[in-house]
Amino acid sequence: MKIGIPRALLWSIYLPLWKAFFNELGHEVVLSPPTNKKILNDGVTACVDDACLPVKIMHGHVIDLMDRADLIFIPRLISICPREYICPKFIGLPEMIRNSVAGGPKLLVLDFNAHKSIRHGYDGFIAIGRQLGARESAVRRALARAMKAQDEYTARLLGGSNPLMLLEGMALHAGIGGNKGTIGLIGHPYLLYDRFVSMDACRKLAQMGYRLIFPENILPEQIERTCSIYPKKLFWSYGKHLLGSGLAMLEKGMADGIIVLSSFGCGIDSFMVELLQRQNQRDFRIPLTVITLDEHSGNAGFDTRLEAFVDMLEWRDHNGHYFSPHGEGLYIC
Amino acid sequence: MVITFPHMGRVYISVKALFDDLNVKLVVPPPVSKNTLELGTRLAPEMACLPLKINIGNYIESIKRGADTIILTGSCGPCRFGYYGVVQKEILKDLGYDVNIVILDAPNTGFKAFIDKIRMISGYSSLSSLMRAFRAAFKVTVEVDELMDIVLRKRPREKHKGETDRLLSRFEHDVLKVHGSTETLELVAIYKDKISVIAEDEKADPVRIGLVGEIYTLIEPYVNLNVEKKLGSLGVEVHRGITLTDWIKTHLSMDMKYKRARRNALDKAKPYLGRCIGGHAWETIAATVGFNEKGMDGVIQILPFGCMPEIVAESIIPTISRDLSLPAMTVTVDELTGEAGYMTRLEAFVDLLSQKKGMVS
Ligand code: SF4
Ligand code: SF4
Repeated sequence: MKIGIPRALLWSIYLPLWKAFFNELGHEVVLSPPTNKKILNDGVTACVDDACLPVKIMHGHVIDLMDRADLIFIPRLISICPREYICPKFIGLPEMIRNSVAGGPKLLVLDFNAHKSIRHGYDGFIAIGRQLGARESAVRRALARAMKAQDEYTARLLGGSNPLMLLEGMALHAGIGGNKGTIGLIGHPYLLYDRFVSMDACRKLAQMGYRLIFPENILPEQIERTCSIYPKKLFWSYGKHLLGSGLAMLEKGMADGIIVLSSFGCGIDSFMVELLQRQNQRDFRIPLTVITLDEHSGNAGFDTRLEAFVDMLEWRDHNGHYFSPHGEGLYIC
Repeated sequence: MVITFPHMGRVYISVKALFDDLNVKLVVPPPVSKNTLELGTRLAPEMACLPLKINIGNYIESIKRGADTIILTGSCGPCRFGYYGVVQKEILKDLGYDVNIVILDAPNTGFKAFIDKIRMISGYSSLSSLMRAFRAAFKVTVEVDELMDIVLRKRPREKHKGETDRLLSRFEHDVLKVHGSTETLELVAIYKDKISVIAEDEKADPVRIGLVGEIYTLIEPYVNLNVEKKLGSLGVEVHRGITLTDWIKTHLSMDMKYKRARRNALDKAKPYLGRCIGGHAWETIAATVGFNEKGMDGVIQILPFGCMPEIVAESIIPTISRDLSLPAMTVTVDELTGEAGYMTRLEAFVDLLSQKKGMVS
């Protein structure tokens, strides 16, 4: 069977797992193309207005796959970590798609719910493997292989690589002008690693001579530790990931500046970005900018923002206004 | 210690009765106003949900009146509500307000922590007086909701336009002057009687609309631009998909019969949504189907801008509407929602329903 995987939402994090799983079970996997204008427009038209950009784009990818795949794989990632969630829209994703995409797309829905335990989460794979007609033992074998592929991928991300390099073969080496410094680029994977949505921010910054560091490069232990300053457990896995990696970058002085890419109307970002900004303002005061993306964002305005930010970094460098990110900044107002 | 809390519709009546009974000093925030909203909009993150912004406005207005401890309820996801307290604390901290925020997470996420916090804010009252006060406050909630049911039934039927609302605002004025649950209950009873006997126009045959959506937006009249009153003035009998009583029964009580009934009600959502996705989206879908069974002429969904779970529900409602031939409309509100455009939309919807009803009868 031909199983379509939309190149949207968390595909850039979990593709190795999903693809290997279906391949091992003897199915062919087709990916939708990288996000383009048509996919965006189709998604925006199909989806309810109030939704955020990434969810609209997901709708566009589903529409693209409709006549190219027998089944379209929709992961319902309720929870990927015990006692955490991702976002209410992730939980209701299959319903949104079913009710908004005309023509009744045939969906293969994975219910992944690790809220109780990780093991529970993987039960979802067993269920769809069975649904595809495989015997349970075969499904388990496929899953074990797929998990191995995923572990290798995750290790490479933590080792400093990123999905753009690993999945799209993009070279992201600091370009002309040598290495001017490091910028922390923070945001949900579906913003950072979608070249259309992020208006190729990664390549642009690399070409301006900056090394990039991503949330996916930060160790989970470090994220847990930095987030423990809050009196209540952060129960959104990606929210925590963004905030925690941002805090880790601040605390360890990993970046000269931080750019946050956020989606207009993202409920989770509204809180995480607020907490990150406040912490930076109190204790670190390194340049930090938030760029909000929506379906109307234009390349020109975006480039101006990036350039202005980089100019500021360089200006600070030249004028000796650079202060170590280890706390002295606290007293400079 | 002087306690305050965020407004949510008429919850203040029960909270006040509770703390009066416990002899704990309480500041009831001034009713949500333009000033409250402006404070909140200025100080809270731009993309935060509207309820959070209004909460911030409430706190600051209460702090100015002497409050030093804020209580609010919490949850552990998946929606943002569960993290309101933390974000709000950070905002207040940076503003230099030295207040204590007590987040009451539902008892099932830690019963001991819940009881300890309650005992702390109650000035360490004995367990038995605590229980008594809570039970009485719950009774107040039930009675006030019943009073509102009478109001909702009366508005489209009253002979003299505006009579119901005149009495309702007198009640809201008087209720702040009484002390404790006993006096509050007496007052509610008086107004229940008064409003019940308002003369009705016998010929009235109102259109019936069910309201569903995000709980805070539904319950707080300032935020929904007083939708119940507006619809009432258009001659509509309004039915609420969710009330404070429901909320308390769901989260705080052990009422097994209610829990079973709730399960059954939620089962109605099954063909469209079979699980909790956060907030009250599941209830929204279930209530939409339920309202159809109760013979409503239409359903209005109200959500604050960016409300994640309700956006999922918003995607589903058109399908239900088609399947059941139940007219439905979604209204998104934010700090910029204007009276005029809002009223026009309500009027158009009510017109549509009246015509449809006229054709049927
Ligand atoms: S986390 Fe934010 S961007 Fe992602 S689906 Fe939820 S609301 Fe949209
Ligand atoms: S249900 Fe809606 S309004 Fe309530 S916390 Fe969640 S997003 Fe905000």
